[in-house]
Order: sequence, then structure tokens, then C-alpha cells
Amino acid sequence: MPREAELSLNAREFILQALRENVRLDGRAFDDLRELQLSFGDEYGVADVRLGKTRVLVRISVEVTTPFPDRKFDGIFTISTEFSPMASPAFEVGRPTEAETLLSRLLEKAIRRSSALDTEGLCIIAGLKCFALRADVHVLDHDGGLVDAACIALVAALRHFRRPDVSVEGEKVTVYSIREREPVPLSLLHHPLCVTFSYFNGGEIALVDANLAEEQVSEAEVVVTMNRHGEVCQVAKYGGLPIDALALLNCTNVALAKVQMLDKVIQQRLEEDAKRRDKGGLMAELSAENARANAAIPG
Amino acid sequence: MPAPKTTLNPLRRPDGSATHSQNGYTIIGAVNGPIEVQRRDEIPDEAAIEVNVRPATGVGSPKERRIEQVLTTLLRNIILTHDYPRTLIQLTLQILSTPSTHSTLPSASSLPVLPALINTAYATLLAGSIRLSTTLAAVLVAVPKRFGKGEAVIVDPDPEEGGSELEAVARKGGLHVFAFDGRGEAVLAESEGDFGIEDWEEACEAARGVCCGLQDESPDVMEVEGAKRSMVRGLRELVKGEVEKEGRWRGEG
Repeated sequence: MPREAELSLNAREFILQALRENVRLDGRAFDDLRELQLSFGDEYGVADVRLGKTRVLVRISVEVTTPFPDRKFDGIFTISTEFSPMASPAFEVGRPTEAETLLSRLLEKAIRRSSALDTEGLCIIAGLKCFALRADVHVLDHDGGLVDAACIALVAALRHFRRPDVSVEGEKVTVYSIREREPVPLSLLHHPLCVTFSYFNGGEIALVDANLAEEQVSEAEVVVTMNRHGEVCQVAKYGGLPIDALALLNCTNVALAKVQMLDKVIQQRLEEDAKRRDKGGLMAELSAENARANAAIPG
Repeated sequence: MPAPKTTLNPLRRPDGSATHSQNGYTIIGAVNGPIEVQRRDEIPDEAAIEVNVRPATGVGSPKERRIEQVLTTLLRNIILTHDYPRTLIQLTLQILSTPSTHSTLPSASSLPVLPALINTAYATLLAGSIRLSTTLAAVLVAVPKRFGKGEAVIVDPDPEEGGSELEAVARKGGLHVFAFDGRGEAVLAESEGDFGIEDWEEACEAARGVCCGLQDESPDVMEVEGAKRSMVRGLRELVKGEVEKEGRWRGEG
């Protein structure tokens, strides 16, 4: 496998010199994200995210299995990130690179360990049957910012996904297909999103959403995951450069603004997609979701 | 049923890429090549070919490995490998979406997805400007069990509309995938199920008609076979469009 082509010394110096003069190669401001395009597939739970030239596709699938014996009341949720040579010839099948390990660990921390998904809601019969939810992250085009793009795609796909409805009578479980009963959305407790900061020039320059060339020059990276209420889910720092505590606080402030903006975009796209699917306005009647508030009981 | 749809070069990073939809499957392919090859895979006088097929959900299974092997053998005969000695041509095919009936088909069956993969592979190699000896077109043919007794072969069955039909054939009759080169010669024939030699020959002729038939350019035949279209004509349109785009700088026309 060829190695990832490294930037030449001239290219590195050029990027750094430009950054010292407050210019980014693609003309963005230092705290600007690239243009985000989000589209959903015809099926539920497929989200295609394009962040600049980076493109990530996440597909959620579900099946019924037995829960783990030590977690009888929880469903199973796994995130699979396997890079293919499609993203870059440097990625070899079956041999995870450092980038792949980092991505899967970060997604694990950001989405799974922050308990964004209520896995208890995936349990059907305690200890016997539960839903196993699987998220496949496919990186189609790689131009840096994989963590941010994958996180957006994953959260959008989870919010878009509908699991089949089930009914339980004693020990007997009936799983209804999409044609029989309107499928049910997942219960997500919050929607964490990642924002990556890259540091240059001994920590003096911080960039949001670096592209691949900038990532190769950067000296340190800070990934902040938070939801739109400003609750920090995790902070990860990579690279040798020490980062000042005040700079970290500043990161969370910037991240909050970005996360709120991203969350709004996802929300908007989801609403557009729901409108597209809701032909004839029958969705409200078809929904098998339990009403949250107690309806007044007549009589 | 929807005609196969192909887009060239949707991705920026690889040397060539293509998306292709057929039989309800959507596949994105990317090719990198000729690139550096590992010492153990190096062939002194030709290019090594690596095909990766990645399913929509889950990790690859023996089923994907088998498809990869079929594709590698097929493509080695299509690509002019002697033009790229001691290099690697690396093709990745990612299945993006499968028809809703995909899960009801017998799980071992790899044939319904194969034509879409072959056609994607061809379009991808074309987009990546890899030198090829000929064109390639593949199609799925379903032969029902009661073929000849009132039932006809189904060429390119639509899994959304005739899903149960396809499923019945997959369980009871024979499924065949044929690929033809530019001269109309069969370069691949994969079959499974229960069928006789007459069924196979009939299926092969039907597939040849769809893959390389140019006869439906005349208006009479068009009416008779209105629903059928020729894969080769679609390919020619694709190549024409690509050549026009690439040759824009010449300022002709």
C-alpha cells in the first residue's frame, strides 16, 4: 500500500506563512466550518454528509438478538468505522490505521459513552430479546475533518432512523414490518456533535474544521463534543503541544456556537425530509408512538 | 422499471469513481491506479488487480470474498494489464443501498447484486482512464421453474415490483448472470438454482439481446420491445458524454 502522500516542505511553509498572515488557503475565516450538505436516503437511517470535499455516509440497521447476560435490560448499540481504499489508497482493508482507531474511539466516547442513545429503550424482554442497533460509517471521500463529519452523519442518521414496532404478549414478541405498522423513532436523550480545533505555530493559531492539508501541518488537535445546551460530553487532545486552560475554555465557547448552528441545520433537514415523506398528511394518524403527555381520559 | 443510471466521477479523491443503480442496488465505485504495489503482490510484466467489495451493512463475509474473486478474474481479462507492469490497480465497490426485498432472498445468493457490481466496475475503470481491451455489460436473468409451459424468462427483474417473483425464482428456478464484451461474446456466466441446458441457452440469448442488441434503434422493434433497452447504447451515451466533457478545451463545435 502506498503511504499517504506527505506535503512538501514548500507547501507546509506556505500554509504556515499564510496562517501567520491570517489567511487560510480556501479563504475561510479561522473559525469557519466548511459548507455542510446533508441528505437522507429513501430508507430510514441513511445520512449522507458532505463537509467541503469530505463525504461520509452512515447507515443504521437493526436486528433482534439476545442481550448480553450482564446487561439484561439494555439493547446493543455498535458503531463500526472501517476505512476502505475509496477514501485514500493509504487505507488498507483489514489493517486499521491510526486515523481509523482515533475516529472509532472518539465516536464511541462522543455518542455511546455520553449515552445519547437510550439503550434501555431497545430492550424488548429483559434478558431474552432486544434490538441490536448497528451504525456503519462509510468514508467515501477524505479531505480532513473526518471526526466532525462522521459525528454529524451519525447523529443525523440516528435521528432519522425508525425501528420496527413490536408488541409483547407474555413471552411472545411480534415484530411488525414497515408495511404493517408505522416504525418508531429511537429515543435519543441529547444530540452531541464534535468540533475539531487544530493548533499551529506553537499554539498561537487555532483553526476550526481543518482540511486534510491543514491537518497534516497542525501540531495539536482538540476535539470538543457538546450538545446544543452547552453540556460538554468529552474533550480530547492529540499531538504534543501543550494547550492553555484558558484556550480550552475559549474552545468550548466557540464549539457551542458551531454546535447550535449544526444542530439547527440537521433539524431543518429532518423536517424537510419528514415533509417529503408525509404525502397526504397521514403520518400523524399512522404513528404508533406513545403520546408523551397523559391524554385526558374521557368519562 | 427504472433504467440503470450511472454518474461518472462523483468523488474527488480517487483517480476514477462512478455511481451506478441497477435492479434496485446503488453502488459507488472508486479506482486508484496504477499505484505502487506491495512486493509480495508484484507481477513483473503486468498489473496486479485488487477488488474490494463492501456490503451496505456489516463487514465483508465469504460471500463478498467470492464476488471479489469473480470480479478480479473477469477484470483481469478486460484491463490491459500488460500496459501497467509492476503496478496495482485497486478497485473498491461500496454497496450504498439494497432493495427492500434483498433480505428475503436466500442469503447465499450473490447473483442479484453481481450485474450492478460489474457495470459499476466498468464505469469506474472508464472514469479512471484505465486502458481496457473492450466494453463490458452485465445483466441478471431469472428463469422460472415452469419455463416453456406458459412462463417466460425475466431479464433484469425489478426487485421492487417483481420482488416476490424474483424470490420465487431464486428459490425454485434458475438465476443467471451474463456479461458480454463489445463484440457480443460472453465473458462471464454465473448460474445458480435448478435449470436445464435449454433454459440456460434461452437465458443467454435473452441477456445478449439486452446487453449488446443495437436492433432496437429501428422504430418498429422499439414498439415491440418498448420496455427493453440496450445496455450497450447506454454505455455509448455515457462514453460520448465523458469524451465531450474531457474534450471541451479543444473548442470544437
